[in-house]
Amino acid sequence: MANEILEEHIQNEYKWGFTTDIAADEAPKGLNEDIIRFISAKKNEPEWMLEFRLKAFRNWLNMVEPQWAHVHYQKPNFQDIIYYSAPKPKKELASLDEVDPELLKTFEKLGISIDEQKRLTGVQSNIAVDIVFDSVSVKTTFKETLAEKGIIFCSFSEAVQEHPELVKKYMGMAVPPTDNFYAALNSAVFTDGSFCYIPKGVRSPMELSTYFRINASGTGQFERTLIIADEDSYVSYLEGCTAPQRDENQLHAAVVEIITHKNAEVKYSTVQNWYPGDKEGKGGIFNFVTKRGICLEDNSKISWTQVETGSAVTWKYPSVILKGNNSVGEFYSVAVTNNYQQADTGTKMIHIGKNTRSTIISKGISAGFSNNSYRGLVQIKKGASNARNFSQCDSLLMGDKCGAHTFPYIEIKDKSAVVEHEATTSKIGEDQLFYCKQRGIDNEKAIGLIVNGYCKEVLNKLPMEFAVEAQKLLAISLEGSVG
Amino acid sequence: MSLIVDNKSAVTQNLLEQLQKGSGKIAFIPDAEIISAIRHLENKGIPNNKHEDYKYCNIEAVLRKEFKSVEQSFNELTNADIAPLKLEEAINLVVVNGNYNESLSEKIIVKGLTVKSLKDISSSQKTLLSSQAKSDTDALIALNTAFSNNGLFLDMEKGNVIPMPIHVIYVNSGNTEIVVNTRNFIHIQANAEVTLVESFFNTGSSKVFSNFVSEKFVGENAKLNCFTFQNEGPLSYSVNTNQVKVNKYSTYSNTTTTLGGELVRNNHNVELAASNCEVHLNGLFITKGTQQVDNHTLIDHQMPNCESNELYKGIAKDKSVGTFNGKIFVRKDAQKTNAYQSSKNILMSDDATINTKPQLEIYADDVKCSHGTSTGKIDTEALFYLKARGIGEESARKLLLQAFAQELIDKIEIPSLQERVLHLFEKTL
Repeated sequence: MANEILEEHIQNEYKWGFTTDIAADEAPKGLNEDIIRFISAKKNEPEWMLEFRLKAFRNWLNMVEPQWAHVHYQKPNFQDIIYYSAPKPKKELASLDEVDPELLKTFEKLGISIDEQKRLTGVQSNIAVDIVFDSVSVKTTFKETLAEKGIIFCSFSEAVQEHPELVKKYMGMAVPPTDNFYAALNSAVFTDGSFCYIPKGVRSPMELSTYFRINASGTGQFERTLIIADEDSYVSYLEGCTAPQRDENQLHAAVVEIITHKNAEVKYSTVQNWYPGDKEGKGGIFNFVTKRGICLEDNSKISWTQVETGSAVTWKYPSVILKGNNSVGEFYSVAVTNNYQQADTGTKMIHIGKNTRSTIISKGISAGFSNNSYRGLVQIKKGASNARNFSQCDSLLMGDKCGAHTFPYIEIKDKSAVVEHEATTSKIGEDQLFYCKQRGIDNEKAIGLIVNGYCKEVLNKLPMEFAVEAQKLLAISLEGSVG
Repeated sequence: MSLIVDNKSAVTQNLLEQLQKGSGKIAFIPDAEIISAIRHLENKGIPNNKHEDYKYCNIEAVLRKEFKSVEQSFNELTNADIAPLKLEEAINLVVVNGNYNESLSEKIIVKGLTVKSLKDISSSQKTLLSSQAKSDTDALIALNTAFSNNGLFLDMEKGNVIPMPIHVIYVNSGNTEIVVNTRNFIHIQANAEVTLVESFFNTGSSKVFSNFVSEKFVGENAKLNCFTFQNEGPLSYSVNTNQVKVNKYSTYSNTTTTLGGELVRNNHNVELAASNCEVHLNGLFITKGTQQVDNHTLIDHQMPNCESNELYKGIAKDKSVGTFNGKIFVRKDAQKTNAYQSSKNILMSDDATINTKPQLEIYADDVKCSHGTSTGKIDTEALFYLKARGIGEESARKLLLQAFAQELIDKIEIPSLQERVLHLFEKTL
């Protein structure tokens, strides 16, 4: 029984593993100051931007790769990566018709037809999408509609050109270029990404979304997202990603920064589905991402929701620095690992302001030969009176060759703080399965049902369109992993 | 034995030199083992806060700051010094500055029980020595292996049940800064049952760095019930390492109470090497001033059908720091494991710190493991309830803290020890 289902699962391959034949404009392999100057020149960047990059690069040279994560992998050779790859021909695009038809086909395969979304303006699927292909933002939809409200939503390069004052002020605020090895690398070589600014008092009328895809072989993807929510504003932001199937390991080292002002709220949702490698554990994406938000002023809120099903190795800790009084940080995560995938993911909640609150709900599911770790930090600084944190990390094990781990760090320096943490590890109960089967639900569906129930708390936090996708992904990632 | 130090850490080098001057040849650990321990120390150095396991407990800094010149000038102790430390209903054994002192210890007339100093053990017993405390796993074990004194060996023969508790008094006393490497070996053979109390004191007038390593073997279907009592005072800096191995159907339990000591680090590593065994670890600490207490546990489930329980509680006052770092490790074969871990802490001051790091590392699927930790202040509603009934704020607070700790104090089954703990606990409040 187990073997049959396993067989079936093995046949269930990565659905998004196609490559697109588009001529790419690439930089030579390797990393040095010249490459950084090349990228900067390609993007026609101002002097201060180049300085930012070079400073980060010089810092990076003195840094060592972090070793503490519970993951094992062949260290990437940083001189063997193409740091700039842009789909060619790249010219100003006025309408979708001018987009390379090959590229459009890719998006159709991905199931995000920009075309369709454009037609459906304001009707059903109400999402503005910024698509980052390899390292360059290809197309941002709904720009005009958003501009009416004063919302700036564009590619990062465009923001550098058109809103340098905002970029200069906020970039590096949440994730300084010296923050860690991969953040420094990103700061030096990032090629594009998304930029979003919500002005005072504006509630974004639609969900904003970035879609990342690594396409060219031998490339690394280094994008940067910067979201700024000014006073009394609100935005819900979605991020999705896929990559083609390749035998080699590709590096994805992104940086996401969120800054919220007084009474502002940002909700950031990710469905991460990078290529996880084949069933032998060959290939797949190294996902080393730094995501951090700052609740800069009072009463602001940042919420991270993530569904992690892809990547060979994940190393990611979306964090919130709760600086403003009464600010709120949330982290909801479902991380699924199968085959030889490894994930070390979690969050950091740094309480600085008074009456700050944070909630952490993390659900890990491991199957096959995979290892899934939760690693989180809750820090209550001195003077953060009445800070409150609740953390819950549950792990579900499917099979006896996988591992589930929890590494929470809790540091409290204020007596009025109340911090709770709980974690459990278990497998799907025989009685639960029996209950379902007795009611005529087959094994596979029963597992799907139980897993979905297990993740419900997190999936409920996702915007509707994403929740559907996430549920499907969960089912695909786990099909046949229990016999 | 030569000491070639590659200047990796000045602190380690300095310590090695100072200890080398003052130490004689130790007979009970083979030379090869000692040399490899020194090599390990040279390479790894004394751990500081960059070391993941010592993140909240910087031993290197303590040695650098507090132990600049270790002269190893010890005090002799008399019966009068020891008398107040004894427990009336137990057999009292005394270890002074790391050496088992037979003349100060009470005579033993218990069937099956052997107590002697480590240098007197037979060659067959020697083979077990250092097998559980391996130098390459921890720098402080290495330090102890290299410089340990003539510690205690305790063996309980098959099938014997001890009628009264054994109380080992570890007392350090020096005129100048001293480093004491106390070592012992506890061997409980199959079907035997022993209750062991280990108390730690410092009666000297100068600073002591105590590096204690204990290897404990619990045989098949045997039972070892341990109580650790730490009250070493403000001049003491101590690292206590317990390396325990339990066998089939056996039970090991330990309740550690930490009341005094400027720095107390407890490493409690238990290996559940066979199926159907049971381990209980409990801990209670209350810290004040600039005290620092760090409880570090590792429960290593290797075989199926085992159970482990951990309950640690702490109260941190003034500028003190309390840490709990517990890891439950469930290996691939350890199916049907039940492992629970709970850490509860109360912060009494804004300058105090509590760090907790409860970890689960699980490689088997049919297990039930959970951990919970909470840190907070005294429940204001409970305080109000008591105040509304005419109990003053101060007494109400004490009452609540006592209630918080009572669960652990109740676990101390030896009346005179329980009384001693309760008395000191109330005094610290």
